[in-house]
Amino acid sequence: MSPSVMKSPRSVDIEITSFCNLRCAYCSHFSSSGDVDTDLPLSAWLRFFDELGRCAVMTVTLSGGEPFMRPDLKEIIRGIVANRMRFSILSNGTLVDGDMAGFLAATGRCDYVQVSIDGAVDITHDAFRGEGNFQRAIRGVRILQEHRVPVTVRVTIHRKNVRELDAIARLLLEDLGLPSFSTNSASHMGLCRKNAEMTQLTVEERELAMETLITLKEKYGGRISATAGPLAEGLVWREMEQARREKRGAMPGRGYLTGCNGPGKTLAVRADGMIVPCLQLGHIILGKVNENDLLTLWHSHPELVKLRGRVQEPLEQFSFCQDCPYIGYCTGNCPATAYTLTGRVNHPAPDACLRLYLQQGGKLHKGFESPEPLQGMTR
Amino acid sequence: MEPASEILIMANPLVVLREEFDDWAILFDPDTGSAFGINPIGVMVWKLLDGCHSLEKITDIIREAAEEVPEDVAEHIRDFVRATVEFGLAGPKAA
Repeated sequence: MSPSVMKSPRSVDIEITSFCNLRCAYCSHFSSSGDVDTDLPLSAWLRFFDELGRCAVMTVTLSGGEPFMRPDLKEIIRGIVANRMRFSILSNGTLVDGDMAGFLAATGRCDYVQVSIDGAVDITHDAFRGEGNFQRAIRGVRILQEHRVPVTVRVTIHRKNVRELDAIARLLLEDLGLPSFSTNSASHMGLCRKNAEMTQLTVEERELAMETLITLKEKYGGRISATAGPLAEGLVWREMEQARREKRGAMPGRGYLTGCNGPGKTLAVRADGMIVPCLQLGHIILGKVNENDLLTLWHSHPELVKLRGRVQEPLEQFSFCQDCPYIGYCTGNCPATAYTLTGRVNHPAPDACLRLYLQQGGKLHKGFESPEPLQGMTR
Repeated sequence: MEPASEILIMANPLVVLREEFDDWAILFDPDTGSAFGINPIGVMVWKLLDGCHSLEKITDIIREAAEEVPEDVAEHIRDFVRATVEFGLAGPKAA
């Protein structure tokens, strides 16, 4: 297995500002290494977009902070469009207005605006995002819809909304008529570390979230998706448990640290212009925009080369994975979470470990609950 | 549209040629978000869609540059160029 590297990054994730009008309790940005106190000026971003255009980058994702905090956001987007790229925006939705939505629609290049909505009612959403922000976010979604800007929602699952997932799905897919939404859960980055007890799911709540989300995904014909968090874990773990029961051999691409293929196709930039492999790995500084040649960094920066080499690291070398019956079906999951929890990028991420979850008393959802305990495990 | 041999075709300047692994490439239209994978010969042809080379001339160049060129290469090139026109990636050069 050798890491595949594109000739240039296909997409770039950019924290266009470090400032935000909210302080959500589980924000991954604030208190992270990307939480910087200066934003790169417009002229520097425009110069950088010219370089991205020359490198044939296809898409840019703007996040923050809150991207709509930037008064020069239209000029920033014009710079992206002028360089033959498409864009998407990750937002809390509270600052969207008709003028901006009309502008986004008129570019014809907006893949989507993703708005964070975590509840079906004010009290749930506002619990961790601040009073009044549910109504503001819903209003933002409606304005985007009125202007025919593709809009999607990300639901962060936490202790206060885990029993409201049915109602959230109904609100988003039926009442608001969104084509789809995605989920994750309060993780281990940024402010969430400080507020973990208040926000992070317990084992029982994780179990409930998995069960509910898998049922909802079936009910709504796949309109709910996830790349991390309870839904993603529930689906992957079901597959892994099935493989274990059938005593299958190792799955292709599993058994190694293959949980992330980002370093082979994407890069990220912090608000201060520092180029990093991923916004969740903001401490690994590869260079600075307009000071370092992007393609040189892309092809030869030792840290990127090292990250790409993760896929050749077998899980069996880690004491954490010793004697795990799932080792041949596991990817080791997210390197950024691994770093946050273990201090090592080249390590499996413990938070998404199926064996650990079962050892902590967690259960898999219906159809997988029959008593077939793993050796040495107590329930 | 069936491009005649003598018609000059020009690549849409908005379309991005992203060369990927092993000389394969993607033609990316940022206005539609559509992306099309093309092989190394497709890349060569695309680079010749500059409004200066006729299909006949392009075929001659490919015959010279590539190895083991099939006899019906002209037909393949015509099909490829026709597809680029159909998908809005290229068009006839304005008179």
